Amino acid sequence: MQPVPYLQFASVTKKFGELAVVEQPFNLIIPRGQFVAFLGPSGCGKTTLMRMAGGLDTPSTGNILLEGAPVGPPDRRRGMVFQSYSSFPWLTVEQNVLFGMKYRRDILQSQKRERAAHYVRLVGLAEFAKSFPNRISGGMRQRVAIARTLAAGSEILLMDEPFGALDAQLREELQVELRRIQSEDRKTIIFVTHDVEEAVFLADRIIVFSPRPALIRADIDVTAVLGAKRDLATRDSAEFFKFRTSILHMLRAAHAKESA
Amino acid sequence: MATTPSLARLFVFRGQLSRKIKFFAGLLTALAAIGIWAAAPMLGWIEPIFLPSPWAVLQALWIMVTQNGLLTDAGISIARVWAAFLLSAIMAVPLGILMSSYRIIGAAFEPLIDFVRYLPVPALVPLAIIWFGIGEETKIFLLWLGTFFQLVLLVAEDMKRVPQEYFETAYTIGARPYQALTSVALRAMAPSLVDNLRITLGWCWTYLIIAEIVAASNGLGFVIWTARRYMATDQVMAGVLVIGLIGLLSDQALRALHRFMFRYL
Repeated sequence: MQPVPYLQFASVTKKFGELAVVEQPFNLIIPRGQFVAFLGPSGCGKTTLMRMAGGLDTPSTGNILLEGAPVGPPDRRRGMVFQSYSSFPWLTVEQNVLFGMKYRRDILQSQKRERAAHYVRLVGLAEFAKSFPNRISGGMRQRVAIARTLAAGSEILLMDEPFGALDAQLREELQVELRRIQSEDRKTIIFVTHDVEEAVFLADRIIVFSPRPALIRADIDVTAVLGAKRDLATRDSAEFFKFRTSILHMLRAAHAKESA
Repeated sequence: MATTPSLARLFVFRGQLSRKIKFFAGLLTALAAIGIWAAAPMLGWIEPIFLPSPWAVLQALWIMVTQNGLLTDAGISIARVWAAFLLSAIMAVPLGILMSSYRIIGAAFEPLIDFVRYLPVPALVPLAIIWFGIGEETKIFLLWLGTFFQLVLLVAEDMKRVPQEYFETAYTIGARPYQALTSVALRAMAPSLVDNLRITLGWCWTYLIIAEIVAASNGLGFVIWTARRYMATDQVMAGVLVIGLIGLLSDQALRALHRFMFRYL
């Protein structure tokens, strides 16, 4: 008997009124612990698909199944990290992380504090624990959001261009860190981006989308080429460069064909 | 290093300014206004019966406070303003939040509120007197009428401006909609809500004077209006001065409260 897939998009389509965002039935299986990048131009439906996995939108037809059961409204199992407004300005870094456990009844307040301190340390913000978000950089605010979803105990992290507003250097730093955290905590991640380099560096697997309506153009196994371990040296390697370039060429060729 | 002349440094287009300089700029303008006011009757530009000197106004104020019980009238006016303001706020805040939270409620109330919002309060004074006589109800009603309908829309707008991301973040850590409302939305909208309440309190004072002029036997508006009848311009101005001072003080107090409550901004 086939094992039940972890996260499965089964013939999913989505329409907002007249507008078909996902027109052809979308099928995808994501195994537990995989880091998947959804790569594609803006407006191609990748964010909508991710949001549906989080329960923030519902499919018009088809199903999204988590361990065989259709996903319901949003819950703690599926955490979200947005590009902006990702942390609450009226809470300190520590309180923001604690907020991730606000509605958990299964652990004591003292345990919550311990967990919060742990995740604040994990994302390297220990010395800013008592600071309000307006006192820290945009990159640190994104780390706060990541720590909050981890503290909440989410198994799946849904990340919507979380580093999109950051400068190149900070971005690189956070990418390294996210990859490290993911390999330690074995989270399943869907990471939406339109940056080819970011997708190649971070992901185990890249789903390349065509422009709307959300067709899978390619399903690329990155780990087979680059291995699971990624660090700054990965970025400088010839394989990384070749891999990145080949995906860019593929996108360009497809774009040229469509424009013609 | 090039040094800019100091005067030019004060006039940088969209530039920055220190707190101290800002304070002195405000003080200077206020003193200049008082100076012109003092000079005008003294130099014979205006008859003192139309513009009494600041000194005469202060004297009138002293007499009104010590002999005519002006503080009682001020207290009555303040009580009316706050009663109406609280009534408006208690009704407007929940309705405004509901209007933004549920499209159907917003759609149902918006046309009516928009209509009443544009009715000038003075035009409704006769109706208010017919309905409520000239008791306290009339004044509270007029103040409420002038502020409630404005405030509802401001609150609805504050709520609408809470980023969707905040709600969705709350949902994905297991919050139900009402929990997202109380622990996230209210906190997120609080700074602009407090600002709008402060502005509404200012409007209350505007309408209070109208209400007290037409239908009252005490309060600052009544005092001013009575003094006018005897051409006691110094007393009229003393009354106006008191209203200005109360307004200034309560506004500053609320601003300080705002800074204290929202230190994270």
